This record gives sequence, structure tokens and C-alpha cells, in this order.
Amino acid sequence: MKSLIQMIDEIALSHPDWPAVNDRGVIKTYGELKAASDGIAASLMARQLPAKAPLLVYTDQSFAAIATFLGCVKAGHAYIPVDSHSPNDRLTMIEAIAHPALVLATIPLPLALKTPTVEASALAAMMQEKAAAHNVALAADDNFYIIFTSGTTGQPKGVQISHANLISFVAWMASFDLPRRPRFLAQAPFSFDLSVMSLYPTLTAGGCLQILPKEKTDNLKTLFETLPHLPVDVWVSTPSFVDICLLSPLFDAVHYPALKQFYFCGEELTHATAEKLRARFPQAKLYNTYGPTEATVAVTAIEITDQVLADYARLPIGYAKPDTTMTLVPGTAREQDDQQVGELEIIGPSVSKGYLNRPEKTAAAFANTHGLRGYRTGDLGYIAEDGLIFYRGRTDFQIKLNGYRIELEEVDHYLNQAPMIRQAVAVPKYNAEHKVQQMLAYVVPAPGEEGGLALTKKIRTHLQGVMMPYMIPQRFIYRDTLPLTQNGKVAVKALISEVNA
Amino acid sequence: MDKKATVLSILNDLTGEDFTNNLDEDLFDSGLLDSMDTVQLLLQLQAQLGMAVPVSEFDRSQWNTPAKIIKQAEDAA
Repeated sequence: MKSLIQMIDEIALSHPDWPAVNDRGVIKTYGELKAASDGIAASLMARQLPAKAPLLVYTDQSFAAIATFLGCVKAGHAYIPVDSHSPNDRLTMIEAIAHPALVLATIPLPLALKTPTVEASALAAMMQEKAAAHNVALAADDNFYIIFTSGTTGQPKGVQISHANLISFVAWMASFDLPRRPRFLAQAPFSFDLSVMSLYPTLTAGGCLQILPKEKTDNLKTLFETLPHLPVDVWVSTPSFVDICLLSPLFDAVHYPALKQFYFCGEELTHATAEKLRARFPQAKLYNTYGPTEATVAVTAIEITDQVLADYARLPIGYAKPDTTMTLVPGTAREQDDQQVGELEIIGPSVSKGYLNRPEKTAAAFANTHGLRGYRTGDLGYIAEDGLIFYRGRTDFQIKLNGYRIELEEVDHYLNQAPMIRQAVAVPKYNAEHKVQQMLAYVVPAPGEEGGLALTKKIRTHLQGVMMPYMIPQRFIYRDTLPLTQNGKVAVKALISEVNA
Repeated sequence: MDKKATVLSILNDLTGEDFTNNLDEDLFDSGLLDSMDTVQLLLQLQAQLGMAVPVSEFDRSQWNTPAKIIKQAEDAA
């Protein structure tokens, strides 16, 4: 089987002038991508790093990021993408867990790490180096990338995705009726595996990634100035992000005639959002997909047609991809509204080998079933007789907020470590469509502190230094005490009911 | 309820804070509002005040304090 790198390099050799990346209006070709990634690979190999050791890539969304990822893999190393908006603590924690052999920074690092580091200027020089083609053949089970997700005690978990895992996903995406040389939207940060849905399906099909970086999406004005000039024909985002775009009445087929397909992943696609999109883009195909990072981006999909909208008040997440089986974990099924709802397990070739250097966490969630890898998702679901799957919530305190996966217990961990807080608990607030709209924190202030705006700002400033911005609660509600269960734990479920009453 | 009270009530609902005495608080700098909250803010202004939302002209610097949002609401009349 051809490797993904071979597929991309073959395009570079036969069509070096084809556009590969639109980075803030600067078009980079396949020829340039190959030259830059070969240069990086040659420099990495000259360093004689320990074989197969992962490399940490600190980056924003840019051509340099993509060239660096490919360069790492060409030199025989998996890459760990860490987004530039990560707090310093997360960076050092990932460094401590992953033991990368080298850090490659496409933009300046906010702090010095213990690991030898290639700074942005040195990396740029590596990309300029004239190098012969480099490609250390990866074995199918070798890691291609490692993406860190949140963990319950503040310790992030590094999901190891092998070359075979990624090939299974990319081959499935290619089976959709993608446009020739597709122009995918690349909006998700590279530390979020939704970005992989754009990255490799585009580059292995000779398409062009249309980067929409965070600095453009932060402000609505710049977002709506930028978006009309991106020649995107395949849209990939969270439903939350398209909700922002739908705020503009001009976000429709008349103003975006090139948009042919929409793929959503990362959180529940609501009926309301899908309906609005069908009305605005009646000719476009709209797909709902589902999958945890642990099973490589997505493992189920369904086209949301008018018929599907008419048939289901809460949209299905689709059918499992052909090489994958979805079942309910034995013993977890319960009757709910005349349906058997249980914990979804994914079995197939895109399931990860587990968490990097975390054997206990790996053993708890992954298993070998009949020689294939299985992952227990922690997601509740119902599987209809024809194989159509419906999501029904979580088995634990994990939530999705704006597409980001958040463990409430991790948020609690950070809250309770804050010196100005005596006790606190994070509570999700749901909207009418079962989607988490906000995360609230119930807080008992530390002695000497008084609840109010001043304290909220103090807590926020503290949290910004230790946790990802998306994990920080939107609202802080101050109490003298928190309700407790009979076991003396904070009665989170009671607070969830109170907030969502 | 007048427009000022409506805006303050929407902001209270989104952030949990009463800005009656903090009308010049920078909502974005302090992290009290993020981009998804902005979506909610605009949708609520539309629903409760019938304000047509000029998203393509939504420049954060014109909407970053309660006082400025109240002014936007009053000017929209």
C-alpha cells in the first residue's frame, strides 16, 4: 500500500505547480510543500535523533506547520501538534508526558522548554535547504501523529494515531463524492483532530487547503471580511462555528456559490442548524459525522437530507464506516424510550493503539476484540436495526462545548487549585437541543475573598495561566456552601438539574 | 423594560455579572465574553429588541463594554 507521504509527493512530482495551501492569501504549491518538508526531514535526520521518538510542533495554522508535520513523518518521527493558544502549563505537561526528542516551533515559544528546540527562524532555514527527497518508510503501526486531549486530573492524554489508522480514515473520506482537487476549509487548530479531516483528504487528492486562522475568526468583522475571499468548496467545522457564520444573512449559496459540501464533526449537529443550512444552501450536500480522537477523527457519517430532517427530531450520527463495527459495550444497555441505549464501542482499523506512556488509562478504555482494536467511547448511543446510530449523551462528566472536549472533573481540578477559591464545581448548561451552551462554575470563595466581578476577574486571570481558554467557565456563581451528596461529595447532578431546570 | 435594562439583563444572563455599576468594563479583555457568547448576545438583541444584527460590521472595539452595547442598541432605534 502506498503511504500518505508517497501519495502527496507523487502529486508534487507530477504537478509541482498545483496550489496546496492558501496561507493568508499566499499560495504555496505542492512543489514548495515537498521542498520544504524534504529540507526539514534532511535536517532532522542529520541530527540522528532516537529512532521513532515523537517530536513536538508548537504552531499556529500556517503553511510552515503543514510542512513541518510532513517533514517529521518523512524523517520517521510522529509529530505532536500543540496550538499556539495553549497555556504554558499545558506545553510543559505535554513535554513531560511525551518526552519528545525535539521541539519544532513555527512561531516563538512563550517559554524555554527542557527539550532541545528548533526556533522559528532556524526552522525557516531548514525549509529553505536544498535536500534530496527524504522518506523513511513508516511501518503500518508506527505513529503518524499524537494529539493530546483533556484528562480528568489535569494530565492530558496523548492519543497515538498510526499510519494505518490514518490511512483507514483518509481512504474512507476519499469514498465520499469529493470535488476534484477539493478546496477544503482549514479552520480548526491543528491540536484539535477535526483539522485532520481537512488536512490529509485535501493533500492526498491534489486539493488546496484554505486556511482560516484564529486571528481572523476572533472578530466577526474580520471573519466576514475574510470568508468571502476563501474559495472553499468543502466546508469542515464544528456546528458551533457554522452557527457563527449563519449570523450573516449573506452566508448563503448566492454569495458562496462554490460551497458544495459541508462536513460537521466534534459535537452534536442540531436540527435547527441543519435546517437553516439546507435552506441557505439547497444544492449543497450536508454530512453529519461522529468520532472520538481515539478512533481517528470520525467513524460514522450520514447525509442530512430533507427526508432525514423530516424523519428525526434529534439527528442521527450516521452509519459506521465499512471497515468498522459499532456495538454497545456488553452490560451497559438500558431501556430508554423503548430503545436499547448503551455505551458505544468502536472496533476497527482506525482505533488508536492507546495513550502515549499511559498504560493504565489505555487498558481502561481500549481492548483487543478478535484481533482488532476496540475503544469504549464513554458516549451513550442507540443503534437501530439497519445500523443507523444515534447519540444520546455521555456516561461520565465529559462535555462538548463549541466542539471542544472538556472533562468537567479536569475543570474542577483547576478551580479547586486556585488560591482564591475554597471549593468549586463546574456545571454545564444545556439548551433546548441538548447542546451545552455554557459552562458555569459554582464557587465558594476562599476566606477573605468576596464573590463578585472583581473576584471573577482575579479567578479568570489565574485560570488563563494554567488551562486552555475553552476550558474556563463562562459564568461564576458565588455561594457560601455547595450542596453535598450523602457521601460528602459535591452534588454535581443536583446542581446540573438546578441550572437546567 | 428600557433598552439599557434589556442589554444589562442579556449580559447578566451570559456572564452571570451585573454591570449596572461597571458600564465601562471591557468584556473581551477580561474574558467575560468569547466569540460564542457574542453569537448569543447578537441573537438575544435581535430576539428581545428586534435589532438587525450588523455582523459584517461587528468590530469588537465598538462592542467591548456594556456602555457601548447599550449605545448600539439605542442608536439602532
